Amino acid sequence: MLMCRDLAGIASDYIDGELSFGQSVSVKMHLMMCKDCRSFIGNLRMSTRLMQGHSSAQADDEVIDRIRQRVSSALQERQPPSGPGQ
Amino acid sequence: MRTPTALDEQSLVDGLKRGDQSAYEQAVSEHTAGMLSVARFYVDPSTAEEIVQDCWVTVIDAIQRFESRSSLKTWLHRIVANRCKNRLRTSNREITTDFGEVLEPELDSRFKPSGRWSTPPKLRFEETADALMENGALSDCLDKHLGALPETQRSALILYEAHQHKSEDVCNILDVSASNLRVLLHRARQKIFLMVETFQETGEC
Repeated sequence: MLMCRDLAGIASDYIDGELSFGQSVSVKMHLMMCKDCRSFIGNLRMSTRLMQGHSSAQADDEVIDRIRQRVSSALQERQPPSGPGQ
Repeated sequence: MRTPTALDEQSLVDGLKRGDQSAYEQAVSEHTAGMLSVARFYVDPSTAEEIVQDCWVTVIDAIQRFESRSSLKTWLHRIVANRCKNRLRTSNREITTDFGEVLEPELDSRFKPSGRWSTPPKLRFEETADALMENGALSDCLDKHLGALPETQRSALILYEAHQHKSEDVCNILDVSASNLRVLLHRARQKIFLMVETFQETGEC
């Protein structure tokens, strides 16, 4: 029988649909009976949603600016020289 | 974040192939954060910046060979991963990754020997993730805790959640097995869960 601790160990796999059919049924049956695990799964799912769309907050603006400048310089170095009569 | 004038991927790739400055600005804005996440899986932040910079310069020439068989994002992430792996090989270093216990010790200690909760989750919120993120303090706290995650866990989480790569792609990019990726993701999520729980309960980060 699946215990709360077991469920906590496979909670991400459950959320991401990575469990086998049998495992998934065991988790669902446990969740029907255990409000604490329902709360854990709900909160873990919420935590994953907090991460979605959070990439921009993780970006280091100064680093990106430095990279943008380097790319801009590299592009300019590759531009063919333009001048009259060419 | 896409702007109304943002180019779609094919137009963006065409612009990159033409050496169009604005296309490069858009691509750097959209993809650098993800590339840094990949690099930080392997190397320290300063080396990661150096590698990502070099990769972008390489992309200026290599983009002509890009045939859109994968998304631009996946292609860029693979370039970064390969460059990092080469760097590690040259320096004879290995990635140190903890694929051991699945449960975080702080969470593990909240179960009785019988396997039932002794300290169950305290959160009972019904708020949506969007509503939670409108709380600036929680958003700052999330940034702080993401920054404190081991780089391997943080990279896996960001590539999978924030950059929405399929797990198969994350495994290929980071060169980890599917089961190891599951451990990295789960451990990172538990830490974020514990952070949100503490924040909701005490207001402290």
